[in-house]
Amino acid sequence: MQSIDNPVLTLENIVAGYGKMTILNGTTFAVPRGSITTIIGPNGAGKSTVFKTIFGMLPARAGKVVLNGQDVTNFSPRQMLEAGAIYVPQGRNIFPELTVRHNIELGSVAAGAGIVDMPARIEAALDRFPVLRRKANSQASTLSGGEQKQLEIVRGLLLDPSLILIDEPSIGLSPMMVKETFSILTELRNKGVSILMIEQNARSALQMSDYGLVLELGQTRMFDTAPAILADPRVGQLFLGGGIAEVSAA
Amino acid sequence: MDQFIQLILAGLATGAIYALAAIGFTLVWQTSQTINFAQGEFVMLPAILVLMAVKFLNAPLPVAVLLATGMFLLIFGLGFKTYLVDPMAKHGVLPLAIATMALSILMKEGAKDGFSAEAQQFPSLVPEGVVRLFGATLSLRDIAIFLVAVVAILALQFFVTRTRTGRMMQATAQNPTVAKILGIPTERMILLTFAINAGLAVLASFLISPVYLAKFSNGEVIGTAAFIAAIVGGFNQVRGALVGGFIVGLVDNLAAAYVSSAYRAAVPLALLVLVILFKPEGLLGSKEERTV
Repeated sequence: MQSIDNPVLTLENIVAGYGKMTILNGTTFAVPRGSITTIIGPNGAGKSTVFKTIFGMLPARAGKVVLNGQDVTNFSPRQMLEAGAIYVPQGRNIFPELTVRHNIELGSVAAGAGIVDMPARIEAALDRFPVLRRKANSQASTLSGGEQKQLEIVRGLLLDPSLILIDEPSIGLSPMMVKETFSILTELRNKGVSILMIEQNARSALQMSDYGLVLELGQTRMFDTAPAILADPRVGQLFLGGGIAEVSAA
Repeated sequence: MDQFIQLILAGLATGAIYALAAIGFTLVWQTSQTINFAQGEFVMLPAILVLMAVKFLNAPLPVAVLLATGMFLLIFGLGFKTYLVDPMAKHGVLPLAIATMALSILMKEGAKDGFSAEAQQFPSLVPEGVVRLFGATLSLRDIAIFLVAVVAILALQFFVTRTRTGRMMQATAQNPTVAKILGIPTERMILLTFAINAGLAVLASFLISPVYLAKFSNGEVIGTAAFIAAIVGGFNQVRGALVGGFIVGLVDNLAAAYVSSAYRAAVPLALLVLVILFKPEGLLGSKEERTV
């Protein structure tokens, strides 16, 4: 595995699981700073479990998580937010009966006393997407799936994170919305935010990523630049739906 | 017509008390999936505690009220959550529900053995009396009960919807996982709903006991009424519990007068059956979707 200078996040020999079941048994990888890295792998590879363990939703039984040089192993979600990471899980992550504005506002709960311009940030978040501004006072349940994803992302940005963990952002979205969500992520990357993403939709995710990481049974099987992963025949066969011939022709 | 207006007012007064109990019930359900079968006993006990403080400690009434309120909030707000709900919730919703049933028996028998099996007078905060309005004779006490309960419910509604803490509480109820990943102190929010529930029970107890007297078995009627109110209104909605409380109170009082006082308790139950048959999510409730 190639070594990475000054990674934003590293996992060293992480062991975690549910009950007696161990899902991650020595998971190790590093995430380059200021880039989009996509984790791909078959179902049950432990992708979502990795995120939950990083973000303190699931205890790490052994191993070490380091964020921006700080040991954050088994930090609570609140502490992770304070350390500079946000987590956008799979599916709908809104409070359906609260207004769009109040949903966004709750993204600021973990803000430190140092952030004094929060009201302005909330307004800016609403202005970031016209639909959020227009529906600011409507229940969040009136947003479409893609709009909800946008809400989830701008809500997380209130805290100026250095790392975004985002799990399956494209699931259930129309192709246009997927494109738009990916372009938001690219824009954030261009501003220096590091993004670690899980995607079933591996081909299009890798196309907009800088790096790809193949996870299998909780082990890092491959780490490389996204184009290299895309071009690797083994990956093509296993996860991208295309045969070897198709990949080599591309 | 006179009698009808009086019945409506009496119905609204009892309904407001049922609503207090039903709202607490719903709040606790929403944040912690606790079905509190001791809810009726929660409303029974504070009045008994006041009378016990007066009798055994010779405390003056205001001191007894403060003492009973403080004790109840501590034991049945904080203690209930920490020592009964938290350990039992690990085993699932059903064991927890059964544990609350056990608690209800313990509270009821405890009140009987520790204090009295007889119904006791409970001092009313409002003097007896009537006012005449549009030709009807209205009880001052009913009016006071109604107003106090409505003010309490409006204050709660203001807290839940207009304050940030209230919204963090709603967030915890609507999506606890996401609340956690945003750094909302969900455990504290859940505890807060238990404290609010205990507070509502104390208020309901002080309002209803002057009317029905303080008795160890009061919880049976109130608990059933609150449970029906919550289901009729919509189990997952605070405003459903509010509407449900008033409906049950009105139906209860009207049935006692016009149908049969012997069967008064059956009429709200019949209403419950109808709602479950035709609108199982409750009048104001929303269908709950669960992913498995």
